[in-house]
Amino acid sequence: MKIIVCIKQVPERDAQVRISGSGKWIEESDIQFAMNESDAYALEEALQLKEKHGGEVVVLSAGPERAGTTIREALAKGADRAIQVESDNLNTLDALGVAQLLASAAKQESPDLVLTGLQSDDLGYGQTGVIMAETMGLPHASLILNVEKTDSGITVKRELEEGWFQNIELPLPAVLMIQSGGTKLRYATLMGIKKAKTKELRKINASELGQSPAPAATLEKIAQPQKQKSTQIIPGSPKEAAATLVEKLKFEVRVI
Amino acid sequence: MNLLSAMLAEPPGFATWEKLLLLALILASAILFFRRFAPILNRILKSKKDPNFSLAPIGKRIWDFFWEVLCQAKVIRERPLPGLAHAFVFWGFCAFALVTLNHFAVGFGLGFLDPAGFFGRFYSWFAAIFAAACAIGIFGLFVRRFFVRPRWLGQKVSYESGIIAALIFILMVTYLGAFAVKSATPAAAALWWIHSLSILIFLPIIPHTKHLHLVLSPATIFLSRGGFSKIPPLVGDEDFGLVTGKDLTQLTSLQSYSCVECGRCTEHCPANNTGKELNPKEIILGLRGYLNEFGPSSEQNIIGKYNSIIADFQCTTCGACEYQCPVGIEHLPIIIGLRRGAVNTGAWEDEHGAKLFLALERGSNALGMPASDRDKFVQKQQFPIFDGSQEYCLWLGCMGGYDPKGREIVADFARVMNYLGTSYGVLRKEKCTGDPVRRLGNDLLFQQLAESNLENLAQNKAKKIVTICPHCVRTIQEDWKEFGTPPEIEHHSEFLARFVDKLPQSNKNDRVPQVPVLGPGNDERASFHDQQASGHDFSRADKAPIEDKALAPAPPNNKIVYHDPCYLGRYRDVYEQPRTVAALAGEVVEAPRSHQRSFCCGAGGGLVFLGEETGDRVSHTRANELIATGASTIGTACPFCNSMFRDALAEKGDAAPQLLDIAQLTARSLPTPNS
Repeated sequence: MKIIVCIKQVPERDAQVRISGSGKWIEESDIQFAMNESDAYALEEALQLKEKHGGEVVVLSAGPERAGTTIREALAKGADRAIQVESDNLNTLDALGVAQLLASAAKQESPDLVLTGLQSDDLGYGQTGVIMAETMGLPHASLILNVEKTDSGITVKRELEEGWFQNIELPLPAVLMIQSGGTKLRYATLMGIKKAKTKELRKINASELGQSPAPAATLEKIAQPQKQKSTQIIPGSPKEAAATLVEKLKFEVRVI
Repeated sequence: MNLLSAMLAEPPGFATWEKLLLLALILASAILFFRRFAPILNRILKSKKDPNFSLAPIGKRIWDFFWEVLCQAKVIRERPLPGLAHAFVFWGFCAFALVTLNHFAVGFGLGFLDPAGFFGRFYSWFAAIFAAACAIGIFGLFVRRFFVRPRWLGQKVSYESGIIAALIFILMVTYLGAFAVKSATPAAAALWWIHSLSILIFLPIIPHTKHLHLVLSPATIFLSRGGFSKIPPLVGDEDFGLVTGKDLTQLTSLQSYSCVECGRCTEHCPANNTGKELNPKEIILGLRGYLNEFGPSSEQNIIGKYNSIIADFQCTTCGACEYQCPVGIEHLPIIIGLRRGAVNTGAWEDEHGAKLFLALERGSNALGMPASDRDKFVQKQQFPIFDGSQEYCLWLGCMGGYDPKGREIVADFARVMNYLGTSYGVLRKEKCTGDPVRRLGNDLLFQQLAESNLENLAQNKAKKIVTICPHCVRTIQEDWKEFGTPPEIEHHSEFLARFVDKLPQSNKNDRVPQVPVLGPGNDERASFHDQQASGHDFSRADKAPIEDKALAPAPPNNKIVYHDPCYLGRYRDVYEQPRTVAALAGEVVEAPRSHQRSFCCGAGGGLVFLGEETGDRVSHTRANELIATGASTIGTACPFCNSMFRDALAEKGDAAPQLLDIAQLTARSLPTPNS
């Protein structure tokens, strides 16, 4: 089974983000980047399928030069080879533009299965995988926790609201959006990193794919969230404090 | 007859056929010895060369050889009675070198010590004193092994040891007996032959028994890596630690063949003492077994028939084994080497271990908290930010930056530094030093963390670091050297001990006791619900928020039992400074196992982050021992020890003694800011 895993490099979870001068994106120079969390689960799912059923895992990423470290990390964890799609205007593209790029690169590989993370930790559109599937003319399913191969295709487990799950069958090829937390991630090893050095990382430019993507939606402005919650400790004896509390609930917050 | 006038009797001159027989016997014995010894020597020499091995500093090697081999200092110090018995046997052997040479020379009519001459007479009597001591010593050791039978010597009775003991005893008795008979008599000849045969039988038994340590251990001690738990660097693209026979280095092989099976390592091992599978002696003997079966060029995995991966990962890296070993075996580089092999190749699968690694791959701290938690703590405490102008960079570490109790310790230490007027600052950002991943054998993560931290410290121009965590101290000072030049670092006990004259003494301080006020909420705690990166529950800290943790002065007649952290004591040789500091707050009492023999709290080697232990908990065993001293306070100097004991004491209820770091003990004696 040939599986393509789409991976995005996003700011590290602990990064202290500052808004850049343009007001349209964050300052990237002093933060570190990591693999998007749900993409890490997509990769893990792909690696487990390969370990069970054989085949190949190909990493596909649209990203600038720096994304190379994250791609190497995926190769170190066990992916066989990687494709990096480059384009000058990647940082201004919306989900549609990126999905079109990824889909045309994926098509060339004729995969049995395409896995993406559910959504990115930075922009959080949650659309890339769905648009890819539409563009490629393939069936798709999202919020996937688990994938089992069957004789006719695959069975996937979807997470619904309130602790409900749905198991559905899909034919192959298909596109799946993988949810975080469905399985246990493996750690990167020194041996994996050393092996990754010799694995193929092919770079393709958007023009080579015959694409000149343009965003349908443009990002106008980003802003830090305003701190809204404030905790107050009401002093005094229980009786006094309760009286003050009622007053505040009535007149300040106006909930009673 | 005056006893002192007795001379060592010599046999009558031998006939040619007797000389030929003797020669044949000597040759047979020597050939047997070498036939057995050569393959062992070959396996040691064919092993991989040790990276970064250097004979320098030679002075220290010579001293260690003199002190530990010739003086038998460690053998005696750690087990005085059997140690002395052993020392007598050893010194007896040394004194006998010349006697034995002369003994065989006499057989060929070439004796060079004249028993009637001045030197010969003197030396034969000199050796006789040693012979008597040696005979008593070996008899004592025989009684110990076969009748007292301490369990560390193992379940199986070693009959070879009995034969060896008997041979040594016969050697000594036949030598002493020669003073009671006359030269050139049949009795003298008989004693001479029995003595000779004993030596010739003894020799071929050496290579395949633990008595090989006679030959190898002096070299093992002289050639040791030096330092404590010195972990060799990985060299080249194929080196992942101890995976197969090809990874065993000459020193590792030499050490595995030097083991004398005395079991001191096992006797002091916290894992083994709490019912776990790990037995450090068996780790070493396992390597020997592997080398005997597969050899040093085998591609067979070491973990398997001769080594258990479960045992390898039960080690707290407390280093009691390495400290105790009388023949210079360095257990920690071996156990950590086996872990490196398993982790660097991905062979080790452990839910909690993987969580720890992922937490450090993606985040900054071993506790798996968001880095912003540390920022909030730094802001709340109003710690100055280090900008290169302050004298000290106060390194918080994962425990000091994220763990509630660790934070209290840091906050109290900062109060003491403020009181002393020391200028310090904390870094804006900090990552785990890599201690837990270093000890668990994840070299990839360790290198990333070490390099990132080194760069951060260099950018901030930090020259001197002080920290509350002995694990940070060790890792920064020693382990980071592989990737750069770390700044100077010291533990807060060393810092505080320097200022001991400027610090107030609590018993001289008659302030009104201040009762701790339990505050309402603690917003620090809120962020701990998503902490799942480890098997250890770091959130079970004292629930009182830092500023309300009123610094009640120590009760009168405060007895403090100080627990030596492994990474401060055995790893750094710091024993007295924390005691000096603790003594300001009360009377310091000792636990039965203290100083170099301190018993681990169970946290080290990354184990605090792993899952449930099998057998008893190391922390509970140690906590019970500390409680049994009757002390009112347990004094710690490591936030990990503190965390482990905190859990262990939780189930003791009100009967539990209070648990405080030495920085907290000191802070309690400071005058309150508003008084």
